[in-house]
Amino acid sequence: MIEITDLNKKFNTQSVLKDLSLTIAGGEFCILVGANGAGKTTLLRILAALVRPDSGEVLLEKEPLFADPSLRRKIGYLGHQSLFYGDLSAWENLRHYARLYNLSNSEEIIRKCITQSGLTPHQHKPLRTYSRGMQQRLALERALMHSPSLLLLDEPHSGLDQDAANGLDERLRQLHLKGCTLLVAAHRPQRLLQSATHAAWLREGQITDKVTLDQLSDIPGLDSYIREVK
Amino acid sequence: MPNKPLLLRVLDILSIILIPAALVLILFFTPEEATMGAVQKVFYFHVASAWAGMLSFVVAAGAGIGYLTTRDFKWDWLSLSAVEVGVVFGLVAIASGMIWAKPIWNVWWVWDPRLTTTAIMELLYLTYFILRSGLNTMETRARLAAVYAIISVITVPLTFLSIRLFRTIHPVVIAPTGSADFNMSPRMLVAFFASLVVFTILLADLIWNRYRLAALQAKINQGGN
Amino acid sequence: MTGFRRYLQTVWAIFRKDVQVEWRGRQGVPVMLVFSLLVVFLFNFALQLSPQLQSGLASGLLWVTLAFAATLGLNRSAALERENDALNGLMLAPVDRSAIFFGKTLSNLASTLLVAFILMPTISLFFGQNLLKPALFLVVILGTGAYTCLGTILSALSIQSRTRDVLLPVLLYPLALPILIAASEASRGILSGQTLGELQNWLYLLLACGILFTATGLLLFETILEE
Repeated sequence: MIEITDLNKKFNTQSVLKDLSLTIAGGEFCILVGANGAGKTTLLRILAALVRPDSGEVLLEKEPLFADPSLRRKIGYLGHQSLFYGDLSAWENLRHYARLYNLSNSEEIIRKCITQSGLTPHQHKPLRTYSRGMQQRLALERALMHSPSLLLLDEPHSGLDQDAANGLDERLRQLHLKGCTLLVAAHRPQRLLQSATHAAWLREGQITDKVTLDQLSDIPGLDSYIREVK
Repeated sequence: MPNKPLLLRVLDILSIILIPAALVLILFFTPEEATMGAVQKVFYFHVASAWAGMLSFVVAAGAGIGYLTTRDFKWDWLSLSAVEVGVVFGLVAIASGMIWAKPIWNVWWVWDPRLTTTAIMELLYLTYFILRSGLNTMETRARLAAVYAIISVITVPLTFLSIRLFRTIHPVVIAPTGSADFNMSPRMLVAFFASLVVFTILLADLIWNRYRLAALQAKINQGGN
Repeated sequence: MTGFRRYLQTVWAIFRKDVQVEWRGRQGVPVMLVFSLLVVFLFNFALQLSPQLQSGLASGLLWVTLAFAATLGLNRSAALERENDALNGLMLAPVDRSAIFFGKTLSNLASTLLVAFILMPTISLFFGQNLLKPALFLVVILGTGAYTCLGTILSALSIQSRTRDVLLPVLLYPLALPILIAASEASRGILSGQTLGELQNWLYLLLACGILFTATGLLLFETILEE
């Protein structure tokens, strides 16, 4: 699905990603773990083609990601921000994204997204009246509305209450079962251990280890890191 | 830091020798212009510094293209150096023009299109530094400064085109034979082209020295040796 | 569907979104309008205009006011894309990112033209010179077209700066100089009774600016947006 080779990205001559290589096969559900500032967000933004790396290659299904804009259709991205317009309602925001992705039967898809996020009673209110958690739920549906085959999620649980977070875990599990490839950056990855298949450890700008979750105990540092980070 | 390259030393020495030489040429070799008198001699350095200013902005834009295609900071240093030096030459051109204008037009400044646009273009390149100072990372700074230098160089000829459509009171020197505002004698032409060459050498020398300074600064910021 | 149609649909989607945001929030055009009316009245005060002077200044006043008002609209339009990182949402769209340039330029052009079309009769009313001439509309469309092209490019530059709120005018005005010279000269010519044929040099210059800045946006917008 994705092959990353020798990826480099510097900000102010400080390397954030340094010769990073990582391969994620189709259908994997991979947790990206790492301390704050390890470069998780930068990596995900590069994979979403929002940030251009200084050097290195990113292949999405064997094609160079930055060469062809239409490849971005295969990617769903959820970042720290909702990417919504505060003056528009949930419905209008989603319709805007449906147009950007050029979706046919968009009405139906939008209705499904709004139902799924549980915001039907609020769908025509301007987005700035929504709470952080409501926006986050809607933002996840936005990332999924064009049925991407690769899903990049950056701290998807942030701002969600316990129920919504559990709902999100279930949603991700289902997506994984449907064959979607997931790469999820999580500062506290414990809750994903039940549904994920792999874990990748990002340290000092490199993926130092990538293992299936069964083999987690083979890498003592990673194992204790994942279980102890609170 | 490596020692100064030999060619740069040569340029340094050439600049130091040639500027006074050009001055001697202008003051003692050229005849006095019939109507304007001695003050006309400002013209040689005036045009030469305007030329050097323009040339350096073209260099800045070229370096901008260089940066955007290679993403090598060396091009950014060159672009910054060229704009900085260019702004100084632009100021020299404006100041020397004002010195000429006072006895000829009887005022330091007139709101002639040519003068006004030149002044605004000077501001345009001062804005380049304002733009740079507000950008956070070196990469963004270099990238957007390059874009700005390129757009500026697209605009400058358009501005010149626009003032060609006006009637200007600024003398037109470079024009088809017969239509220029005053005709230069052969001696004047020699001094004129000599000034252009000398200022071009000075420009190259200054940009190169400024570039070395930028390279040194970058080295310090990286904490290297 | 062909790639080009998809591209145009993205441009159109961005334009519609901007119109919708403006319709909901009404934070762009009304501000531009009130601002430009204020400029018109303040000019009259500050310059102590006598009636003869007034009519001669109408074209200059129109362009200075439009240039100022458009800056407000451009800033607002760029700020909109900063909120919640919405610009990243546009960048996710699976088409070449110059589509964002065209979409934003189109909506900026629409709001500036709207202001211009209200400003023209207003100036006519208060300054005793009829600005409602077909030839002048042509000049206004060409001039604001080139101006908003350049303005959209530069607003994408300025929002990345810490000084974003004040930077745009400083970047824009000197670079817009050929546009403003040509537009106000052509307008002055039209108001003093010259035909379009006599003013064709200015019109060609406006057209050249428009084409060059469109090409610049097409080629450089992706580079400006990337991080």
